[in-house]
Amino acid sequence: MRNSRGVRTFRTVWMALVLIFLYAPILVMIALSFNASVSRSQWTGFTLDWYVKVFHDPSILGALRTTVEVAVIATVVSTVIGTLGAIGMHAMNTNMANVLINVSYLPMTTPDIVTGVSLMLMFLFAKVPLGKWTMIMAHIAFDIPYVLFSVMPKLRQMNPNLYEAALDLGCHPLKALYKVIIPEIMPGIFTGTLLAFTMSLDDFVISYFTSSDMYPNLSRIVYSSTKLGVKPTMYAVSTMMFVSILLLLVLINRRTKLEDMG
Amino acid sequence: MIDETRLIEIKGVSKSFGDTQVLHDVDLYIRKCEFVTLLGPSGCGKTTLLRILGGFEMPTSGEVLFEGKDMTGIPPYKRRINTVFQKYALFNHLNVFDNIAFGLNLKTPEQLGVKTKKEKKAEIERRVTRMLKLVKMEGYEKRSTNALSGGQQQRIAIARALVNEPEVLLLDEPLGALDLKLRKEMQLELKAMQQQLGITFIYVTHDQEEALTMSDTIAVMNGGRIQQIGDPKRIYDEPKNAFVADFIGESNIIDGVMLQDELVEFCGVEFQCVDEGFGAREPVDVVIRPEDIMIVGEDVGMLTGVVESVIFKGVHYEMMIRGNDPDGIRWKVHSTTMQPVGTRVGMTIVPYNIHIMHKARTADAEPVAESRNKEA
Repeated sequence: MRNSRGVRTFRTVWMALVLIFLYAPILVMIALSFNASVSRSQWTGFTLDWYVKVFHDPSILGALRTTVEVAVIATVVSTVIGTLGAIGMHAMNTNMANVLINVSYLPMTTPDIVTGVSLMLMFLFAKVPLGKWTMIMAHIAFDIPYVLFSVMPKLRQMNPNLYEAALDLGCHPLKALYKVIIPEIMPGIFTGTLLAFTMSLDDFVISYFTSSDMYPNLSRIVYSSTKLGVKPTMYAVSTMMFVSILLLLVLINRRTKLEDMG
Repeated sequence: MIDETRLIEIKGVSKSFGDTQVLHDVDLYIRKCEFVTLLGPSGCGKTTLLRILGGFEMPTSGEVLFEGKDMTGIPPYKRRINTVFQKYALFNHLNVFDNIAFGLNLKTPEQLGVKTKKEKKAEIERRVTRMLKLVKMEGYEKRSTNALSGGQQQRIAIARALVNEPEVLLLDEPLGALDLKLRKEMQLELKAMQQQLGITFIYVTHDQEEALTMSDTIAVMNGGRIQQIGDPKRIYDEPKNAFVADFIGESNIIDGVMLQDELVEFCGVEFQCVDEGFGAREPVDVVIRPEDIMIVGEDVGMLTGVVESVIFKGVHYEMMIRGNDPDGIRWKVHSTTMQPVGTRVGMTIVPYNIHIMHKARTADAEPVAESRNKEA
């Protein structure tokens, strides 16, 4: 169908407006992170000082370490639990398994604030002091569905005879699991790991409710700083978080596309 | 060639999944070095029977003996049996060499007849190379299995199973996904491999031509029961019931009445035949293969009819001829000479091409389980 010039112009302008509304705030923040002035209203020249400052600020570095530590531990644990859980549920092959799988996806759609508050209540009820380990447990809990979500389709696509072929050639069941099943679904496991890691890095709300100010992660530091007036170092921190998560998402996207083609 | 010792004995095996019974009291023995085909339409239980032999399913009742010892309950990885699966089931994360070496790598050096790990590696390489040569895939060692065609994947799947030198090789419709020409080639190659290696093959297929080409023995299955067991020629020439006659090749199956030994009546005409031992005036099924009906002049034919349709089939013409008898039976006739549609023709059948069968007692499956004929 051919469109008149007017329709085409409208379409381009509309598209541009959508993109501006979506990304202008982030672009402003990125720009401000390179602004020599502390003021948000004037541009006094380009500088990398704020980035240098970030890496000399012990509280930010501590928070960075907490964020990465939590993300790594939660990712590893949730990858193992999620993968084994997916294999188990896949093997059940009953109506019950379907219910179970759908229930395990549920946390992905639950609002973070609900997950965060309910986990906090659970920890308080169990008299577990909030801190790094409660935060890690919370991250494991919300990461697992993402691993399941990436691994499950791989299991469904897999030739059902592969496991039997491994047994047939002399593997006992456990050996068949790690010599054949796991390598076969490895692309899905890896995608799940990346997703879980991204979600962990990204999270603020759940971490806020399940940790304490004693163990701040990056997003908590950024949030706390807003109460005292935001310093440009926070723009730099946020910019770096944005870029690293963007890169991870691009990576995940490309992997998913490659897998769909393969 | 075929050793008379019974390698595998299946005794009264039944299998149910929930409420559906897929195997009914199956009895079958398999001799050493024999090529046995389980032939039947989909859902007849042939794959389930194969899976019981492989150890992937347990029979609900009955037992399976291997060299006289009960092997029910022995897991697949402890059986001296290997399987070629329907959709190849190659390991995509491994290259061709590692796929074939998979089973050997799991064995100890002693099991491969060598002492050290280093010797084991060399032995594996030697065996895999020999196997690649057997399946005509030399030079493909380092290829990824994804990069292979269907026929090549099939060869690798066969090599992966055979390299373990199993006593028995199970094949589950291994050629189903290949095109016709390749399938015919592979049929001959499989048969040659089986004879060269002297391994017992148990082959599942729904393709009757494939079964006739390759097998020493065919077990025709339907509705979870074995309908007939015998060598290909016997199954083709002397089908035991209407199901077998219909499933193996094309047939004309007509209602008839046995008048006395070697005399049958159908279409209102009496025919000499070679069968005896039926009751007087017993209703029977008469089977006549399309290629056994000879077209002659209308005046000399035992039966007469009018050609209704003609299809060219390559080697022969397939004609449908409407008989002039009161029921107007439609005969399927294969002939190398064509008769135009509308031609009035005569048909003759020689006595030994008329095959008489007892009427099946039920419509779908003969409830009497077939046991093996010794003279086969």
